[in-house]
Amino acid sequence: MAGETNGGWGGGAESVLNLVPGSSISVRYHSLFGPHDDFLLLEADEALLPDILHNRVTIRGQTDEEAVLCTPLATYAMKFVGTSNSVFLIPPGDPIPPCMEDTCNDSKSNTSAAHEVVPSVIKVASSNMELVLVAPHLDKLKSLLNERPYKLDEDVETDFQHNRSLYRWQDLLEQIQASEQELRDGLKALSAAEIDGFWRIIDEKTMDEILNMVLNNSILHGWPLNALEEHEVVSVLDADGYPRNITLHCLETFGNMVESSGCSFWSLDEKKVCLRFALQALGGGKMKLEIFLQKWRHCVPSGMHADLKMLEGEVLYEKLGFETWIRAFRVSALPSTPAERFAALFMERPRWNWKDLEPYIRDLHVPGLSLEGLLIKYTRRSQPSADVEPIFSAR
Amino acid sequence: MQIKVKCNCGDGKCPEWAIIELQGVVESQLAISDQINGLEIGHLCCSSLSSSSQLSYIFTVGYHELSGTKVQLKKPLLVLKKKAAVDAAGPEFPASSATELEVIGIIRQKILFKTRPKALISRAQAKKLS
Repeated sequence: MAGETNGGWGGGAESVLNLVPGSSISVRYHSLFGPHDDFLLLEADEALLPDILHNRVTIRGQTDEEAVLCTPLATYAMKFVGTSNSVFLIPPGDPIPPCMEDTCNDSKSNTSAAHEVVPSVIKVASSNMELVLVAPHLDKLKSLLNERPYKLDEDVETDFQHNRSLYRWQDLLEQIQASEQELRDGLKALSAAEIDGFWRIIDEKTMDEILNMVLNNSILHGWPLNALEEHEVVSVLDADGYPRNITLHCLETFGNMVESSGCSFWSLDEKKVCLRFALQALGGGKMKLEIFLQKWRHCVPSGMHADLKMLEGEVLYEKLGFETWIRAFRVSALPSTPAERFAALFMERPRWNWKDLEPYIRDLHVPGLSLEGLLIKYTRRSQPSADVEPIFSAR
Repeated sequence: MQIKVKCNCGDGKCPEWAIIELQGVVESQLAISDQINGLEIGHLCCSSLSSSSQLSYIFTVGYHELSGTKVQLKKPLLVLKKKAAVDAAGPEFPASSATELEVIGIIRQKILFKTRPKALISRAQAKKLS
């Protein structure tokens, strides 16, 4: 296609758009008119144009998934919208003078040859794509990384299954329908770490073990829990055979970094540490609340105070006769799409009051839909009288 | 799988395409239906309305006359073209970026004929026919 390489199609779009009042023009089918299935029309908000025109946009999806378009920050669903109108597409560019198509390519006279401008239709478009802002599809990230959580003793494993179920950043970009920023946030929310080039979730037992090592050593060496010196902690644990990067990841997961006089210190987060001990204390089953509280308070590090408020979205209470029982039910283990989340919640309990429900849905973010909107869409609200708490059940 | 969307037009210099949109379908006569390339569709005529600054257009297709206006699109349309990717993400990902989409144009306005066509037969002719 000679016209294409010149950047113009010889379609004469300008002559249509700049047609002045009182003049007229003939419109014809282009010599290359055809179905041109390789042409797509994408409707894009003005605000998205800079990302698209500067090559910062990628379409992601496996063959069995519906494609999404990702900017560096956000994810958009791509909807095909058909039309019954005839949409004639007219490309730009000066029409090619007839002599150029055959012999006089090197003659300079062809530009001066006045040739009637005839806008030419290259294709009749039957549809275009629209973009709708959506939440990233991150449940798959969780299941991919859970295929093979990192364990302390895996380094001695044989090489033959070494790379199975391990994912690099690039692999994740290929697999996950999310923008780079959303993927980064998703990895952070899962407390994943990059180990030897692969993004991994650290096995819970491993994390517990390292946390305990940090706490035990803090007693042994008199380290304050709100100012653990990074270099010292990592070195001491390294001497006991715990890899430096995993110890560091443990500090990142359970603490916040504070820098002082050029040294990195870590302050352990009371809530995160206490939560870990609560889940350890609960194990898999349910427990009488009093017994749990006794056990929990006994095992948290001294100086830290266990408070049931720390367990919102992590445990459920049940009244059996006069006694209250408690068991683990973690929001992080639930699906992240609203429909599946509510289905899982109502499977667990057919009826929820607001106080219990809120911790399990407050992390749901659906573009264009508020939490109130989600409740209307996915729940039935009943409130027998104004002074009674509303109850939410499945629709 | 990832498909990169690329644009080689340079900063905001995407060539502008045009759309002429009308209701229904334009059909060519049966005899030439498989050879329409280069064929004239119709005649586009521009006139300004005295009452407003809006431009009005008449599109004559065969014996039909359509009248319409130039419409600014609320959101621009980008013309994308599927291409085989030149540079893949890297040798370790041969399967990725097998195709890419190139932005080859932008459409910001269209000439829209949203009413049904008017037949172009004069009364005298119509009487003769009947």
